[in-house]
Amino acid sequence: MILIDKVSKRFAAQGTGTRWQRKGWRLHRTAQPWVQAVSDISLHAPNGQITGLLGPNGAGKTSTLRMLAGLLAPDSGRLEVDGLSVTQERAKAQARMGILADARGLYPRLTARENMVYFGRLQGLSAPAAHARAEQLADLLELRPLLDRATEGFSQGERVKTALARALVHDPDNIILDEPTNGLDVLATRALRETLLHLCSPEGGSKCIVFSTHIMQEVERLCDQVVVVAHGRNVASGSVADLLAQTGQSDFEDAFVHLAFAATPPQIGVVP
Amino acid sequence: MSRPAVGKALAQWGAVFIKEIKDAWRDRRTLRMVLLLSLVQGPLVLLLVSTLASEKENRIDKREIYAQGMQYAPGLQNFIERQAYTIKVPPADAMDKLAAGQLEDAILVVPADFEQRLHTMEMPTIEIYANSSSRGSDTARDLVRKLLQSYAQERVALTLVLRGVAVASLQPLEVQERDMANANARAAQLTGAMIPLYVLIAVLTGAMGAAMDSTAGERERSSLEPLMMNPVSPWALALGKWGAVALLAALIALLTSLSFIPAQLLIRSDVLQALFRYGLADALRFGLICLPFAGAVAAVLMASSIRGKSIKEAQAGNSLVLMVFMLLPLVSLLNDAAEPDWYYLVPSLAQQTLMLHVLRAEPIALWQWLLPSAIGVVLTIAGLAYVGRAMRSNAVR
Repeated sequence: MILIDKVSKRFAAQGTGTRWQRKGWRLHRTAQPWVQAVSDISLHAPNGQITGLLGPNGAGKTSTLRMLAGLLAPDSGRLEVDGLSVTQERAKAQARMGILADARGLYPRLTARENMVYFGRLQGLSAPAAHARAEQLADLLELRPLLDRATEGFSQGERVKTALARALVHDPDNIILDEPTNGLDVLATRALRETLLHLCSPEGGSKCIVFSTHIMQEVERLCDQVVVVAHGRNVASGSVADLLAQTGQSDFEDAFVHLAFAATPPQIGVVP
Repeated sequence: MSRPAVGKALAQWGAVFIKEIKDAWRDRRTLRMVLLLSLVQGPLVLLLVSTLASEKENRIDKREIYAQGMQYAPGLQNFIERQAYTIKVPPADAMDKLAAGQLEDAILVVPADFEQRLHTMEMPTIEIYANSSSRGSDTARDLVRKLLQSYAQERVALTLVLRGVAVASLQPLEVQERDMANANARAAQLTGAMIPLYVLIAVLTGAMGAAMDSTAGERERSSLEPLMMNPVSPWALALGKWGAVALLAALIALLTSLSFIPAQLLIRSDVLQALFRYGLADALRFGLICLPFAGAVAAVLMASSIRGKSIKEAQAGNSLVLMVFMLLPLVSLLNDAAEPDWYYLVPSLAQQTLMLHVLRAEPIALWQWLLPSAIGVVLTIAGLAYVGRAMRSNAVR
């Protein structure tokens, strides 16, 4: 179970750096421009369900998931994984999550198996357990022909599958996927969809799955509930049917455009 | 830290270390180049040093001098020939070649009235033409000057004797030089400036690639972000990566030190061949001196590299680190006095000083071993603490 409660985060505007201003004989730091990337975003993802975080590019999806992954500290708000606070018990919370990052970040000189076993060992599995799990995942994700090949020459689809296997190596109860279908062809997308449906089913372990995307079809076909974000804020949440009813649209894409692009633009200001 | 937590951290350290070793091993092209360089560096340095030394020896052994107008100074000609030197007439374009630095020699020019002025005690002027920018010309000039001084001394002595004056009144004392340096120390005069510096350079350049790949490389490949999503302790991560880089640096230090043993076969200078005695024990001492340095260098280069978002950015930062480590040993070259104790506090200068002691076969006190090692450990801990912290803060591009 994943809980994101009114989480906010702002960043210094890119490329501005620290500027200094002379006042008499003294140098003072000038106020630094900032961008409010995430503002009071909330999400509750129960086990056995797929929760979609839907939003246009730059909506704050990746920043939110990075905070959930323990990579960024939120300015305010609460992030919990199975009741464990990500900010206070980061390591324990990280052990309960399997995260497919936007940056797949495979090691090109290692084989698919070695990539998986390495992360398994970092997650605390013994070497034999990590190897056994790599074998299981190779069957689940149809990775067997790739298992002992260096990932250097892998196609985009093969990379995503390997990175997903690596994220699942410790059999986490919570799975977080950032734009998992980016760069995948139709067949690979379909295979991934089936895998996710299996993982959240009781046979697959009733995993809690959160995934971010900007692709409508994925949400319609996969998600039990959707959280729509725009300009770093929650703009709507509910099932696909709820959102269609809420906007009075029959097409989900129209509903999304109605929700996401009617929101107010992001806050930009200066930190004193 | 509880026992299971220590066990988990150790297992994580082991996993990171093995992964980094595997990664470095698979980068065969880089590894081959780094190891090859560390193996050929020793022989190349010795070949270079001994070639320079043998050039000087050959010049002295050849016993030839160039002289123009020697027919005007039969007395001087007789003296030089008595010293078993051959007098050669310089070629027509000798002066031009000398000015252009193409003639590695000196030319003695005798004026037409030399003998006449010598007899009338009018102090004739005799010229030596040399080019101070050429090492060979410098050596030849010193040789000719020495011969002329001896000739002048002989003439004065003969004149005084003919007039019944004792030679001792001109030269009231006799100087006898006794060289207290042992054979190794004399050889170290030739090799001491270069060999330790090249060992240090081999360690620095060898460790740099691995240090960058394990830190800035992670950022460039975007693998740091997924890596930091694991519940891994920053110390386990930094130590595991450092272990692999430091192992490679230590291996390079040992290989470079060992490479000077077979390299002795390439020595071209007879004097250096007789003086330079470098055995397995010396190589192992070199390795031992470089071990804490290799660890410190690995940690400092990793700390510098983690700031770079790409290998290219890291290279820019590391070139500064490399420059500092390479320039520090030059401090000893500027100081002719006995080495001060603070040398042992400065990384790379301390190692160079210790290696010089080994080359000179001088004893090394326990504190001289321990102080640079302690400084290396402190640098390593500081570097790793920074790497551990920076890995998390730099995980997101």
